[in-house]
Amino acid sequence: MADTFSERMIDLNNVSKTYPLRTGRKVILKGATISLPWRNTAILGRNGAGKSTLLRLIAGIEKPDTGTTSRHKTISWPIGFRGSFHHELSGIENVRFVARIYRQNTEEVIDKVESFAELGQFFYEPFKTYSSGMGARLAFGLSMAINFEVFLIDEVMAVGDERFQRKSKRAFSDRLPTARVIMVSHSMPALREHCQSGLIVDDGNLIYYEELEGAIEHYRALNA
Amino acid sequence: MSPLVTHISVIFALVLREARVRHGRARIGYTWAIIEPVLLISILTFLFQLIGTGGRSDFALFFATGVLSFQLFRNTSSYISMSFDQNRPLFNYPMVKPMDAALARLVLDGSTHAVVITLVLCFQIFALGAPPPDNIPLMFLTLFFLLMMAFGAGVSLAVIRRFMPSISNVYMVIMGPAFFVSCVFFSISTVPTLYRSVLVWNPLVHGIEGFRSGYYHGYHDADVDLFYLFTWVVVLNFFGLVGEWLTRFRSV
Repeated sequence: MADTFSERMIDLNNVSKTYPLRTGRKVILKGATISLPWRNTAILGRNGAGKSTLLRLIAGIEKPDTGTTSRHKTISWPIGFRGSFHHELSGIENVRFVARIYRQNTEEVIDKVESFAELGQFFYEPFKTYSSGMGARLAFGLSMAINFEVFLIDEVMAVGDERFQRKSKRAFSDRLPTARVIMVSHSMPALREHCQSGLIVDDGNLIYYEELEGAIEHYRALNA
Repeated sequence: MSPLVTHISVIFALVLREARVRHGRARIGYTWAIIEPVLLISILTFLFQLIGTGGRSDFALFFATGVLSFQLFRNTSSYISMSFDQNRPLFNYPMVKPMDAALARLVLDGSTHAVVITLVLCFQIFALGAPPPDNIPLMFLTLFFLLMMAFGAGVSLAVIRRFMPSISNVYMVIMGPAFFVSCVFFSISTVPTLYRSVLVWNPLVHGIEGFRSGYYHGYHDADVDLFYLFTWVVVLNFFGLVGEWLTRFRSV
């Protein structure tokens, strides 16, 4: 895949983010400024350092307390996210809503998800009747059906049985020429498989490594 | 794509979704949203006629104009007040904003009530032989004010709910008695002067009596002040919109 250092993916400009806790505020970022190029990027950091929050900031789900984020690519929600599926609505109705807000061709997206998620008749049944595997397949199929340029992955990507996992992997590889991933994981093999660059979250600061190995070394040092 | 186009397509998607969700369990779906208030108004009219009508020969029409405009305000405002909470998961999609959810409910409930009002009034005219409306633009104007006041009140409540969810119970406690002091089944002109000077502080009185003064030719509307109603519209919307903007950090 072509290196894409020249294309920008997302800029964080002096971004601070804290969380209120009962015992004070938890600092996630303190004035972080960084410009991420459009590359497959691993996010590394110790437990509770704020990796998932950073992912949500990148997705635009959360707003920074101060500072700004600007996105230069269309960025997905964290893959597998299905909290927005309404229990009374059927799979197809939930898919139609998301296709509409992303201004996609609704029928095209529905066809793609229907053939990918393999829900059969359940595609037309309320979401509350789905098993958790079916829900995950619907969510994954929907992320794949929308033309995102960046996919966000938080820890788990594997859903469904083995056959579906192979299928997911294939679908995902098909997207890689035109899409990149930003991935949070503690599994180095998974990160090495998907990412070339790394981003360390530590004590409210962000450190970017063009080469993933540099980031992994830094991460090892943090855990030492 | 321009932000305006995004907002419009988000609101459109939300309107369709809400219409589907609101009466999802009923087989007839959204039609129920029309049938339910039509039935309710018919039954209430019948009951009030049984217990006495205060000497009005046209009580059915009089009561219908009152309860239709009252319900437009009460239902829409409480529906909008829940729009942030009930759509919370959708704010995980970055283009869906709380205000879009409130606007979608305004569009949906506004058009639902427009259909209900048209149906009930047509029934009054064609089946019960009520006189036709006198000043339709004035009726539209007062309903528009009531709807916008419902939006302002609904968004304000939704904002307060971010800090104090129990405000909804307080609102329900207020809106219960409001039915009896908003000229739903009596006219402000028949109220003794002493009580009248208190009642006219209630903005709903002006909306409901204003609607009637549009419907009836030569209605006694000396106490109706549409500018007073408009002031409430502006104040509530200002409070709601500014409040929402200031408390956005509470939305996630």
